[in-house]
Amino acid sequence: MAYKIKKGLAFRRIAGEVYIVDAARCEMRELNGTASLIWEGLAAGRPVAAIAAGLMAEFEVPERTALADVAGFVKDLAAAGLVEAVK
Amino acid sequence: MALRPVARRPGRAAAGFGLKVAGQALNFESYQPGIISVLRRRYGAFTGKAAGGYRFSLTAAPGSQSPFRPAVAASGDRLEIGRGDFRAVIGPGRKAELTAAPSEQTLDAFLRSFLSFLLLRAGGFMLHSAGLVKNDRAYLFLGKSGAGKSTLSKLAAAAGLEVISDEINLVRPGSNGFRAYGSPFWGEMRADGRPGSWPLGGVFLLKKARRNRVSGCKPVEALRLLLRCAVNFDRAPASAALALENGAALLAGAAFRRLEFSKADGSFLELI
Repeated sequence: MAYKIKKGLAFRRIAGEVYIVDAARCEMRELNGTASLIWEGLAAGRPVAAIAAGLMAEFEVPERTALADVAGFVKDLAAAGLVEAVK
Repeated sequence: MALRPVARRPGRAAAGFGLKVAGQALNFESYQPGIISVLRRRYGAFTGKAAGGYRFSLTAAPGSQSPFRPAVAASGDRLEIGRGDFRAVIGPGRKAELTAAPSEQTLDAFLRSFLSFLLLRAGGFMLHSAGLVKNDRAYLFLGKSGAGKSTLSKLAAAAGLEVISDEINLVRPGSNGFRAYGSPFWGEMRADGRPGSWPLGGVFLLKKARRNRVSGCKPVEALRLLLRCAVNFDRAPASAALALENGAALLAGAAFRRLEFSKADGSFLELI
């Protein structure tokens, strides 16, 4: 399943981490290095498999681990209301 | 509050007042001289006219401060800012209308709302902070209520340093880095402030402590407090994106450190 970042969020990479601001809810979140890569992949419209492939290349982890990490994190983002599934 | 047309008496001259803060010129004109007197009394230290400034047609009207938080709506070249006791409509060509209760608190609320909007779009911020000048450079101390902004400012003033504001400071990029500008917005010290600008020497995350200490801080801590201390009533995503962009530029352009200070005396100023 593909996901996209919800409308109304502002984000930017600063000093190696991505910061997300939800102005309507007055909330800010920061993402660590790995999470930032996943977020930026979603922002670029890449499917989960392609994002996982990027993590495999960056961190030299097995495909299974990368896919599980990306899927788990995307699930967390969806639960936090930051991304939504694309129908 | 609805904008009301005002019957203009033939031959009656409008009263005017020009204000210049942080490089932004705002000119007000009204057929009700009382509200111009309020502006002049409150912002007299920042009197100034500049070509190309905003031109407000000002109307006095009663209103309550509820809702207290100003609402901002920007669409194309039209901006609306309002709360219970004021409503401003800024249109193309910097031509604007402001209907407001003729009180200092109301006009202050409008100016904070509008100037914070303009500063964000000029690459800067209106910041809840204390600001002081040392060796011709400005230093800002970020902190929300209770962090020690007024205490620090009073100690700095007692030590002979110029305080820019003990509550709200204005920063924006200049031709040679970020600068802090004189602020008419004050807290406990209730001073008038004065026009002027100083190169930004540094920004401190403020904390009261028993001992004075300056230490480094992580970018994430600095950015988090910077955005918390930024005055911004605009809830649009584009505004949040600007705040992030400006925050990144300020983090790159100024040294951020943490200051723990004792309110016993002004000896912490030696660490600045």
